[in-house]
Amino acid sequence: MAKFKNILLASHGTEGAQAAEKAALDLCSPDASIYHLIVVPDFWKGMMGDDWLNNGITRDTFGHYLESELGKEIDEHIAETNSVMQKHGVTYKHGIVVGKPDECLLEASKEADYDLVVIGSPRPKGKQGLRSKMKLEPLAQSLSVPLFVANYPE
Amino acid sequence: MVYTKKSPALFIIGLIMLAIWWGADSGTLNGFVEHLNSVATPEKMSYKYMAEMSTIPMYFGIIATVFGLWQLLGSHKEGNVDYFSSSVAGAMFILLIAMLVRWFIAPEIEAISRGMGKVGETGSHIHKLLGLNYVVLGIVTGIVIVNVFRIPEWAQNGVRLSRLGLKTGVILLGTLYSLAELKNLGQLSVVMIGFFVLGSVGMVLWIGARRNIPNSMGGVLSAGMGVCGVSATVAAAPVVQAKSVEIAYTIGTILIWGVGCMFAFPIIGNLLGMGYVQFGAWAGTGILNSAQVAGAALAFQPHGIETLKVAEIFNITRVLFLPIIVLWLAVWYVKREESAQAVNVGQVIFSKFPLFVLGFILMFALSSTGIFAPAQHYKGKFFDNAVKAEKMLKSEEVAALSAEINKIQRNDQKEAVARLAQNGKIMSVDDDILIRGVVNGKILSKDATKVLKGAHKAVWHTAKKIKKFRDWITWLFAFGLVGLGMQITIGAMKQAGGQPAVIGGIVGFVKAALSLIVVMMFVSETI
Repeated sequence: MAKFKNILLASHGTEGAQAAEKAALDLCSPDASIYHLIVVPDFWKGMMGDDWLNNGITRDTFGHYLESELGKEIDEHIAETNSVMQKHGVTYKHGIVVGKPDECLLEASKEADYDLVVIGSPRPKGKQGLRSKMKLEPLAQSLSVPLFVANYPE
Repeated sequence: MVYTKKSPALFIIGLIMLAIWWGADSGTLNGFVEHLNSVATPEKMSYKYMAEMSTIPMYFGIIATVFGLWQLLGSHKEGNVDYFSSSVAGAMFILLIAMLVRWFIAPEIEAISRGMGKVGETGSHIHKLLGLNYVVLGIVTGIVIVNVFRIPEWAQNGVRLSRLGLKTGVILLGTLYSLAELKNLGQLSVVMIGFFVLGSVGMVLWIGARRNIPNSMGGVLSAGMGVCGVSATVAAAPVVQAKSVEIAYTIGTILIWGVGCMFAFPIIGNLLGMGYVQFGAWAGTGILNSAQVAGAALAFQPHGIETLKVAEIFNITRVLFLPIIVLWLAVWYVKREESAQAVNVGQVIFSKFPLFVLGFILMFALSSTGIFAPAQHYKGKFFDNAVKAEKMLKSEEVAALSAEINKIQRNDQKEAVARLAQNGKIMSVDDDILIRGVVNGKILSKDATKVLKGAHKAVWHTAKKIKKFRDWITWLFAFGLVGLGMQITIGAMKQAGGQPAVIGGIVGFVKAALSLIVVMMFVSETI
């Protein structure tokens, strides 16, 4: 199998994303570098919905709390991924952005000279989790880099 | 950072408003009324917005045009003036949407609906049955704008002002209650909200324990399902240390329920022939999300605010329960989780207390002093029998009453009617109460009862200031609800799922169904 030197990996801790991380490691050459893109879906911006009864203090407290919760989850995820990557001797860097997953990935793919983009498969029907899908078709059409979609783990 | 955007949008909004004003003032828009009548054929449309179209868009059009020019051509520096001026474009954007929906889109839909005729044996038109009026259509337009087109950058700061609009509307609503009304509605709402809030919080925690959901999920879901939807979730999530996914599931579930209820409740209310008090009490108890309570109340009664008055008392009671429930959940959570932080009771109560409720109480107190209407006003109306000659009873009306007066058994009622016949007008509030008893008892013939009703109407007047307040309140709620619609994203609603969707579905349905039964059985139309 061809080995890649510069991989863009998009994952955010789900089972499908973990499969993508494993696939990225399998596909990279020993001296490769992996850029790990973590997208915070923009639906979180609408998470206060139509609340109007609370005062500013309560809304700020909630906003900060939610930010810190998401931050904690991402930090844990980065730490785990970093330790796995280091074990394999891969150069690991990461970036966090807020937006639509496919749009952010497309944007990130233009920022460096990647030779492969790796993502996980969409969650199978009936499997629980947050709904923020990577739109595969427009992504595949617009990417100028080969795209590898890792199988969902059985 | 400079927030004010150099965009022509506000200037254009101002020009559109001025064009509407000119159209109404010059008579050009009369063609629109003719068009509505032709669409509604064979029925007639009564279009009652020309008066407000001749004033409101002119004032706001001038403000928007002048501000728009300044924003476009002026130079802007960082600071408070810049921050506040950046919100004007968004606020005017919401207002323009509210105007277009109220004056054009909703009447067009009504005309089409009338043209289609009444639906089967319901005796109602489809727009009435589905509650398709300016309030519901305004919220839907807001939802469509944010999800299909996205809020333009120049409008984003101003859209947040919708909350201020709603809170100001509730504060002004304080002027419209009489002491007796507030006391009776307050008692009813405390009993109903107390029972259903505690009941649904307890039910979520009970079902949650049986389905082995984490305490943090149970805590945040019970607040959302029990008290006031998203607002309670926002208030309770940090206290019970809810995980991000639990917050997303809960808020998604509540938003879907809220939007669904806003459409379903008025339809059910119309089909069951509910009165204003009954519907306001049911919506105020059964709808999870407080914004949709106001939406459903105005959807049920778009051209009056009696239902809104009842529903908002229930909303206020809910928001007063919020600090108590958050405190309860905090204590409940601390007992179950070692990692939980100790609860500072004072801080929880203080930080969650809704200050705008104090504004409501202040306006009610001011209104009670007689500053807006005579102090003895009831529902904004006051008694004054210094009526004009043409409003006094005519000789044939006196004859009609005299002919039937002996049908009245009670002496005090008979004497009140005799005094009315003798003086040509109702002589005192006490007489008016007795005469209303005769009307409600259907003691006299239709014609004589009509005379009594006319005499009652002649001595009760709506204070001018109160009438103005009513108009402002209608607009503030329309403005606020369109803006809130712009904050309901499909992305957030799509997160409904997991255990919160199952438990929320069960508890939400039970709450709505049980509160309907209680309202139909125990709540009368008179408060």
